[in-house]
Amino acid sequence: MPRLAIERWAKSSDYPPDDPIVLTVEGAHGLLIHAVTKAAAERGARPGARLTDARALDPALLAVPADPQGDGALVEGLARWASRWSPLVEVDGNGLRLDVTGVAHLFGGEAELVRDIKRRFAWIGFTARVAIAPTAAAAWALSHFGGDELEPLHVSALRLDPDTVRTLERLGLKTVGALMDMPRLALARRFRGAEDVVDALDRMTGRKAEPLTAVPIDPPPRALIKQEEPATHPEAASQALERLVPPLVRELEERKLGARRLSLTGYRVDGSVAVASVATAIPSREPKHLQRLLADKAGELNPEFGFDAFALTADWTEELGAAQESLVEEPSGERELARLIDRLTVKLGPRRVRRPQPQESHLPERASGWTSAVSSLRAKRSNPVLDRHVAPLLATTERPQRLLDRPEAIDVIYATPEGVPRRFVWRRAVHDIARVEGPERIAPEWWRQPSTARLRDYYRVEDQAGRRYWIFREGVIGDGRGGLPNWYIHGLFG
Amino acid sequence: MPEKTAFSRVKLVRTGDMPPPPTTPSAYVELGVTSPFSFLRGASDAIELVMTALPLGYDAIGIADRNTLAGVVRMHSAAKEAGLKPLIGCRLDLQDAPSLLAYSVDREGYGRLSRLLSLGKMRAEKGECELTLGDVAEHQEGIAFIAWPTDELDTFATELKRLRDALPSLSHVAASWLYRGDDGARIERLDRIAKRQGCTILATNDVHYHAPDRRPLQDVVTCIREKVTIESAGYLLNPNAERHLKRPEEMIRLFARWPHAIAATREFADALNFSLDELRYEYPKETVPDGRTPQQYLEVLTWTGAAERWPKGISAKVLKQLKHELALIEKLDFARYFLTVHDIVAFARSLDPPILCQGRGSAANSAVCYCLGITAVDPATSDLLFERFISEERREPPDIDVDFEHERREEVIQHIYGKYGRDRAGIAATIIHYRPRSAVREVGKVMGLSEDVCAAIASNYWGSMEAEVAEERAADAGLDMNDPHLKRVMKLAEQLIGMPRHLSQHVGGFILTERPLTETVPIGNGAMDDRTFIEWDKDDIEELGILKIDVLALGMLTCIRKCFDLIRLHHGERWELATVPQEVPDVYDMLCRGDSLGVFQVESRAQMNMLPRLRPRCFYDLVIEVAIVRPGPIQGDMVHPYLKRRSGKEAVTFPCPDPEHGEPDELEKILGRTLGVPIFQEQAMKIALDAAKFTSEEANLLRKAMATFRSRGNIEALQGKMVGRMVERGYDLDFAQRCFDQIKGFGEYGFPESHAASFAHLVYVSSWLKWKYPAAFACGLLNSQPMGFYAPAQIVRDAREHGVEVREVDVNLSDWDCTLEQGALRLGLRQIDGLQREAADRLVARRPYRSVEELRSRGGVPVHAIQRLAAADAFRSMGLDRRAALWDSRALKQAPDLPLFTYSEERDEGCEDEPARLPAMPLSEHVVNDYQTIRLSLKAHPMVFLRDQYAAAKFITADRLNSIKDGRRLSMAGLVLIRQRPGSAKGVVFITIEDETGIANLVVWPDVFGKQRKIVMGARLMAVHGIVQRDPDSDVIHVVARRLEDHTHMLRHLSEETMPSTLNQGDGAGSWRAPVQRHPRDAQIIPKSRDFH
Repeated sequence: MPRLAIERWAKSSDYPPDDPIVLTVEGAHGLLIHAVTKAAAERGARPGARLTDARALDPALLAVPADPQGDGALVEGLARWASRWSPLVEVDGNGLRLDVTGVAHLFGGEAELVRDIKRRFAWIGFTARVAIAPTAAAAWALSHFGGDELEPLHVSALRLDPDTVRTLERLGLKTVGALMDMPRLALARRFRGAEDVVDALDRMTGRKAEPLTAVPIDPPPRALIKQEEPATHPEAASQALERLVPPLVRELEERKLGARRLSLTGYRVDGSVAVASVATAIPSREPKHLQRLLADKAGELNPEFGFDAFALTADWTEELGAAQESLVEEPSGERELARLIDRLTVKLGPRRVRRPQPQESHLPERASGWTSAVSSLRAKRSNPVLDRHVAPLLATTERPQRLLDRPEAIDVIYATPEGVPRRFVWRRAVHDIARVEGPERIAPEWWRQPSTARLRDYYRVEDQAGRRYWIFREGVIGDGRGGLPNWYIHGLFG
Repeated sequence: MPEKTAFSRVKLVRTGDMPPPPTTPSAYVELGVTSPFSFLRGASDAIELVMTALPLGYDAIGIADRNTLAGVVRMHSAAKEAGLKPLIGCRLDLQDAPSLLAYSVDREGYGRLSRLLSLGKMRAEKGECELTLGDVAEHQEGIAFIAWPTDELDTFATELKRLRDALPSLSHVAASWLYRGDDGARIERLDRIAKRQGCTILATNDVHYHAPDRRPLQDVVTCIREKVTIESAGYLLNPNAERHLKRPEEMIRLFARWPHAIAATREFADALNFSLDELRYEYPKETVPDGRTPQQYLEVLTWTGAAERWPKGISAKVLKQLKHELALIEKLDFARYFLTVHDIVAFARSLDPPILCQGRGSAANSAVCYCLGITAVDPATSDLLFERFISEERREPPDIDVDFEHERREEVIQHIYGKYGRDRAGIAATIIHYRPRSAVREVGKVMGLSEDVCAAIASNYWGSMEAEVAEERAADAGLDMNDPHLKRVMKLAEQLIGMPRHLSQHVGGFILTERPLTETVPIGNGAMDDRTFIEWDKDDIEELGILKIDVLALGMLTCIRKCFDLIRLHHGERWELATVPQEVPDVYDMLCRGDSLGVFQVESRAQMNMLPRLRPRCFYDLVIEVAIVRPGPIQGDMVHPYLKRRSGKEAVTFPCPDPEHGEPDELEKILGRTLGVPIFQEQAMKIALDAAKFTSEEANLLRKAMATFRSRGNIEALQGKMVGRMVERGYDLDFAQRCFDQIKGFGEYGFPESHAASFAHLVYVSSWLKWKYPAAFACGLLNSQPMGFYAPAQIVRDAREHGVEVREVDVNLSDWDCTLEQGALRLGLRQIDGLQREAADRLVARRPYRSVEELRSRGGVPVHAIQRLAAADAFRSMGLDRRAALWDSRALKQAPDLPLFTYSEERDEGCEDEPARLPAMPLSEHVVNDYQTIRLSLKAHPMVFLRDQYAAAKFITADRLNSIKDGRRLSMAGLVLIRQRPGSAKGVVFITIEDETGIANLVVWPDVFGKQRKIVMGARLMAVHGIVQRDPDSDVIHVVARRLEDHTHMLRHLSEETMPSTLNQGDGAGSWRAPVQRHPRDAQIIPKSRDFH
């Protein structure tokens, strides 16, 4: 698939297809061009060149980072897809090798098979160059260099390293045919080890076998039951679930996996299907838990004309070793919490179950955010740099337990310009301040806030009744960013 | 040899509008100052800090960078100039205890502090410092400490006790009010902890920048340091902008509850009694024999040297000059300095064979230096300006830079270490500053921009020669340069430019001291093993008056030495730099023809074009030639006026101010020697000072603006000032503008006169060699590669054009170096790409050989080396061509070099039954292979094989250019040798192409370049259709390109005509090639041209 990277990229971008775009990867000396659009190729950009060199030729080239990993994943996916033509498929760089021995007649002969492969790749939007040959090396050579005879091909069709190719050229041995005409012994003496030319020839001509190692394809863990008669009663799915969970859990155990998403599929007699899916916060293969998660949703599956089969599939799994928490089987806090989150999420919906997610910001309202509970549980990050610098700092700053969603304006009596507050009025109640600590000065985040944003001086105050508040003055007199500063209350302690 | 003047330091110079120095001591002194030399921590430089402190009423200012004294000299000089007392210290970050501020109380204490830091640096990686409390305790005498509390106060109490036990004199604990919310409680607690240990708290604002508006830059450098983006930096950043230099009254207000913390700062500062001025240089003593004073010894050496230099007697002019110089040297007590340099130069000369050396720079203005053998420019033949070298008013030690042969400089360095000891000799640091590109890149990265966008911005803003292209690209990439985020990036980058980034090792700047070096300045490890360098750069050293000498490497000296050796060997003549016959007319005739390939400095295309127009006839003409083809004079449009005046087409006049504004000859004094046209760097600067009456501060600003980056606003202001003032004083507007433009060019590249004179001498010597001994000269050039402007192919071609016979590389005839064989030049094995010196030496040792196999069995040459030799066609002397030799060499097996193995192997494999039938290699393919293996071919020029086709298309050859009239159309084709886009040429591209008969110079105007950019920049074989242009004065011929064609594909016919094309059949996916493996058609057939942008 010579244009895989660029074709994959083009599918997912909204650049006009005629733009001279190059995909780049990091090289030892700056960016290297990885793939190019047709427009870029016409302007002289070539894969393997340095971006700066290509830009010297044509400064209008647009560079976009390539994603070789994503490309690799795609090739793997295509390898599975290609198993429609052959049970033995091997990934070879950006290409695929199919063992089509005894297969071609199923597609109407080799010519038809080639046509079919090309057509289907074209349908899904990828250019494929296809060749069938008795050996894999010959097929590679023909697909990469064209033609249908090996002898006239240039020696680089043997997939030798560039230095060997150059040596062969210098010797005047420029084609595969010229090489075949040489005495084997003479060649073998002169090209050894990594540059074994005779070996490459043998693999091409079939004197030496080159077995394929096919891509392993693991189906997701799945349990299936067939009804003897179509089940039409509403509890059919729930009952089936009870019978499906144990075999699925067994399979998960054997493969040391835990489910993160489960689907219960009911196959109706009329050929339609009904699906119910749930996700879990941490991988699990605990039968009761899984059953409980799906039970409600299973009850909602409508049998219509009746289900004649049910399947329970763990579509998304993660590794999960065997674990025993304690002798008396008292579940740990984390697991219990996870189970609770799972159950709540199933009942209330993922958007309604959230957990606080601290963010690194000095601005209090940015520092305390919320994220969906199901997805965030596992995504704890540890940052050694941060732990070193921040832990002590956080220990010394005290934040109120209750932060108001939005700071509320208050009237404050204080000694200008930067004196401490003496009395404030909030929601029409007057609070005389008995104790005050501060200020803690928090400046705007200059990289995202407008230059007119003002700094805040936070005070922790206690009124005569012993109630503690967190208030701040926005701005200082003479900061050039507005008139007299305003005061706000932002939180309550205790 | 383009040589970029480094970002020259701006010194604070007191002017009238600065507040006067403080007369009363301030109640509070800031001691916790972090400067940018705590790399990527502080965000304001010494001048900014001092210029803020002065109006705020401070009378003293401390500096305490992290484990370094790298920034103290700058603080010292800025504070001294402003009238503040600089307090010299550092912040010690320890491995096992809280940090300490350490200030030197006296000279001895400073010496210990410096030794302590050296100790910590020598044990750590480059740029790091590892110290423990125990180390500090051993060096504590004469140092005053302030404990820097940790964030965790619970443990600090016990830590403080530990510190006190180790450092009995410690009695201060730093306390800061940083608006953290708990400051009151915290300081109160610190106060109690301190009291319990018998200490007192000392107020400091932990200053990281001079003013609150520097916080963004501070945040950005923090992000650069921690390698995070600003969005993800979070708590790594400080929450507010309070760590700036506050006015003393403000500090007193914040510490109203703890007045003793303020008082402590004053007492602490008053107890410090050390100034960097005390590090007065003591010259090494061993350069003077016992019983003589340095001055006496210097005079003896000078007069002896003078007698050798002028065996026929010293002229009155020189005598007067020498006496004048010696008197001044005595008055300023610089004799030891001259003796030290003389000692090093004398050492280089005393070796067998001696190392060639020559002083450069302003030392060429000194007759004493000439007598001592340091410089080679004869003062009898030029007018010297000794005051430019040593000036009584500057009272700075002179600056002597000496160039040595680049291959042997290490011997000189080892001599210096050996003689003065590693504890007394050290290499200066070079402070790597943020330059526009690095600043934009790093700020952009922090601000979340992609590398691509950063590159676009960088080239867009700082007048790169691709400016027009860059703007296009910025627009193409969807960049709106008015976007606030981008504007912010630009502003921050501008602030970052000029900030130190890290210390690096200077190329050859040595400092020498009498006491151990570590007591003067900390020494740290370099990146290379066994290399150490001091923390100060050459400006710092100069500022403090410490002796330094630059030991530089120059490739041309190596080349000249090799030529002298060859001439001695083959012609029996001995020559030295100073004894080469001077002013030989034939040498100048050769230069006037522009025949200067390989000659020092004047071999570039621009210089070659200038030579026939300038027509140098004497040494001083060469001085001007060297200086005039530089961006400065070209941008200032000074070249044509000079040429016109020189040829007498224009009268020599001097612009002068109105009589009421000054003397009419104020410019004549500056410009007399150059016919009224400013050509040298110092002339342009002097015009700013004398004619535009710039103050030294303004001149410095000007220099900084030019040297660092071309920030548009800044330059325009200075331009207005300079041009305005000159016009005001009665100068012509046009002249003033041109002077300014020239300074603009000088900012980056410019030569002072004395420097040009030193170089001109090498120009003359190398020209003389080329003229008299072309074979030896070419041989010396090839043996000194890589150097200069041209590739071996052009050097060889030039030698052949000058009648030198050149012979091919051969295993039985070539040495490693190129050699002379009965007047012919035999190429050396060094020309073969990838051949190791060691293998070549083995080969040479056991010659001659009769078969390929013998090289391995008898010569012990590794097989891969034999294969390279075969590929380079070096077996002709045994009757094997490249293909046959390669085939034989492939059959060799790499085996241990033992006879037993050799024989057993031969028996094993036996003889081949059938001899191989390899096709014969056509000549064209041989030529291509020659280019691939030795980058040149003596067999034929590649164009020869294409000539029939080109001749049919009525293309002419280069040698026929001479016979074509000005303005005629023509077509020609050739290999591209060099492409140049000089910044001073306003987008014009110069291309040199070569065919089998010679070279041709193409000029591509911007409109053609815009349309055919790809061909201009990419073609290896180029066809041009254009018009001949002749310069009537010089006979220089150019071809102005109208249309260009890329004929690189023609080259493929040379080597691949045997191969049928089978590609591009099948499904029509276009000209795709396997990405993993380069198709051999991509392999370079002809090496790339050399491109200079």
